[in-house]
Amino acid sequence: MITAEQKPIREIRDMIAPYKRILVLGCGSCVAECAAGGEKETAMLASALRMAAKMDQEDFDIHEMTLDRQCVNDFILQLDDVIDQYDAVLSLGCGAGVQAVADMYQEIPVIPALNTEFLGQTKDQGYWVENCLGCGDCMLYHFGGICPLARCSKQILNGPCGGSMDGRCEINPEIDCAWQMIIDRLSKFQALERLEKIYPPKDWSKKQGSGPRKIIREDQRK
Amino acid sequence: MTNKQEPTLALFYCQNVPDSGVGERQLLEEKYGPRLRLFPIPCSGRLEPLHLLRALEELADAAYVITCPGDQCRYFEGNARAKKRVERTKQILSDIGLETDRVGIIMGTKEAAKGLPTLAAEILDTTTQLGISPVFAKKT
Ligand code: SF4
Ligand code: SF4
Repeated sequence: MITAEQKPIREIRDMIAPYKRILVLGCGSCVAECAAGGEKETAMLASALRMAAKMDQEDFDIHEMTLDRQCVNDFILQLDDVIDQYDAVLSLGCGAGVQAVADMYQEIPVIPALNTEFLGQTKDQGYWVENCLGCGDCMLYHFGGICPLARCSKQILNGPCGGSMDGRCEINPEIDCAWQMIIDRLSKFQALERLEKIYPPKDWSKKQGSGPRKIIREDQRK
Repeated sequence: MTNKQEPTLALFYCQNVPDSGVGERQLLEEKYGPRLRLFPIPCSGRLEPLHLLRALEELADAAYVITCPGDQCRYFEGNARAKKRVERTKQILSDIGLETDRVGIIMGTKEAAKGLPTLAAEILDTTTQLGISPVFAKKT
C-alpha cells in the first residue's frame, strides 16, 4: 500500500489560510490503513483545525467527509453534490488522490494535508516499512522475495557489499542487511544458485525518464 | 458555547473504576450540574483522541480519562492504549497552541484505588484552575 504521514498542522494552516469554506477530505484506503488519512484521522484534523480557528478568532467553515477511495473517479463523483459549498479541499489522500480530485474539479484548489512516503508493508501495528520502489520490472523471483532496490541502502544487485556485519547494514545499523536476508531466504528453499548469475545494472527506464507512466488495459476500458 | 461562566470537565472513565455505578454517576451529575459531563466506557482502550478532541471542541474546557490500575485492565492493555492516545491528543493540542493540561489520564493504583467521586472532585479542581478554554473565548 501507499504510506503517508500528516504534515505539521502549522503548515496546513498556512496553506488553508486564504480560504474560508474548507472540505477536509479523507480516503478510506491505503492512507486509512497507515492511520494517516482515514475517517478517524480526517475527523481529528478537522476538529483540531476548527479549534485552532476558534482560538485565533478566525472565521472558517470546516467540514469533513471521507471517500472510500480518493484516486478513483467513481468515488470522487460523490463530491458533485457538495463541492460548490467549498472554497478549497484539504485532502488527506496520497499524492495520487490529491491530484485525482484536483483533476475532477479544476476550479477549486485541492491542498495536500499529507506527505506521501512510500510503497510499503504493515509490519506490525503502527509500524510500516518500505519494500518496493515500483520499478516496473520486478526481480523478486531472483532475490527470494526480498527487494534489494528498496531494502538495500546501496541498491546493489550483486550483494552483499563488504560492510554487511552480523546481519546488519553498514549504512544504517538499525536495518537488517537486505542481502543477508536474501541469502538466508534463498537458502531456505535451496535456491542459492540464483545468485550465481551476475545481474546487470538496473534498467530504470521502466520506472522514470519519460514522464509519468501509464497502464492501459483495453479489456477493462468502457 | 461563548457565554460559559464556569469551566466544564468531560470525564471519560472505565467502568472498572471503583464507585462508578449508575447511582454514583447520578449523584455526581446532581452535585456538579453542567460543570461535569460523565462518559462511562466499557474499557479505557475504547477511547480515541477524537473523543477528547470533540469534547474540547464542543463543550469541555478539559477532557480527562480515568482508567483502572496499571495491571488491572480486564482487556489486558486497554489502559496502556489510553495512555498513548492521551499523549497523541496532547501533541495535537500543542500543535494548535492549546494548553496540553486540558487533557489528561488518571491511572489508579491497586493499593490506593480512589473512587470516581474523589477523582472527579480532584480533576474538577484542575479544570477550575485552567479556566475557560480559549476555544470558547468570546469574540471581542
Ligand atoms: S524489484 Fe523491487 S522495486 Fe521492483 S517491483 Fe519488485 S519489489 Fe518493487
Ligand atoms: S550492508 Fe547489506 S543492506 Fe547495507 S548496503 Fe551493504 S549489502 Fe546493502
